[in-house]
Amino acid sequence: MMTTCQHVIEHLWDYLDGELSGEQTEAIAAHLAECGRCYPQYRFQFAFLQLLVRHRPRIPPPSRAMVDRLRRMIKP
Amino acid sequence: MAAIPALHRFALFLAHDAHRADDLMQETFARALVHRAQFVDGTDCRAWLFKIAHNLHRRTESRASRELQQDDATLEALAAAGVYAGIQDTDPAGAVFEHPDLGEALERAMIRLPEEYRTTVVLVDLEDQSYAQAAEILGLPVGTVRSRLFRGRRLLQAELVAYAQDAGLLRPAGRIAHDDDMPACD
Repeated sequence: MMTTCQHVIEHLWDYLDGELSGEQTEAIAAHLAECGRCYPQYRFQFAFLQLLVRHRPRIPPPSRAMVDRLRRMIKP
Repeated sequence: MAAIPALHRFALFLAHDAHRADDLMQETFARALVHRAQFVDGTDCRAWLFKIAHNLHRRTESRASRELQQDDATLEALAAAGVYAGIQDTDPAGAVFEHPDLGEALERAMIRLPEEYRTTVVLVDLEDQSYAQAAEILGLPVGTVRSRLFRGRRLLQAELVAYAQDAGLLRPAGRIAHDDDMPACD
């Protein structure tokens, strides 16, 4: 399957989030291994997501209202 | 690129708010990139961008609380590529995201993020929920979760990059997209 740069960029976050099928994942991985334009964007987005994970404990939580809404969903 | 100051003025007029105007500009450029084949050579590029901005603004106003749709996620992904294009020459691998000073900037950016985006980013990026799981938690279609997640990430990135440039951690952007990505605006 031919994978274009535009397709990869449109689905880069899906790829990083593990949301694609096995076939789609393989196609994008193969493209990234070969493409000097898309691979740096992959590294950039990966570094950004790692920043979020590293600062996980410091991030303000969702508002009380949102937490209450989620609780009501769990225990209606 | 010469159209940017004019488009910004127009966006400010439409949105009446600097943050929303920036958002509108980003969306306008993302849409222009997607539909660049529709631009007619020899016509006024600024007018074309104004029309896109106006249509987007009108759509936003008319749909009010209507949810973001699947197509918006694609636009957000392309808009994020625009953020990257602005700094790819100075920081192609995102090394700035490892700078220790960015932690507090991230906290501030998260606080400023509209709640619908922050909630989605927290669920997926911090709490390791899949799109489907987040959709179930929030009672939203998966496409809407994806759109909100992508927009939240893009807004965070734009704010962090702006902070890093102001703080001297990154050289200011010389451009926001590849020269060959957009029709020339004289």
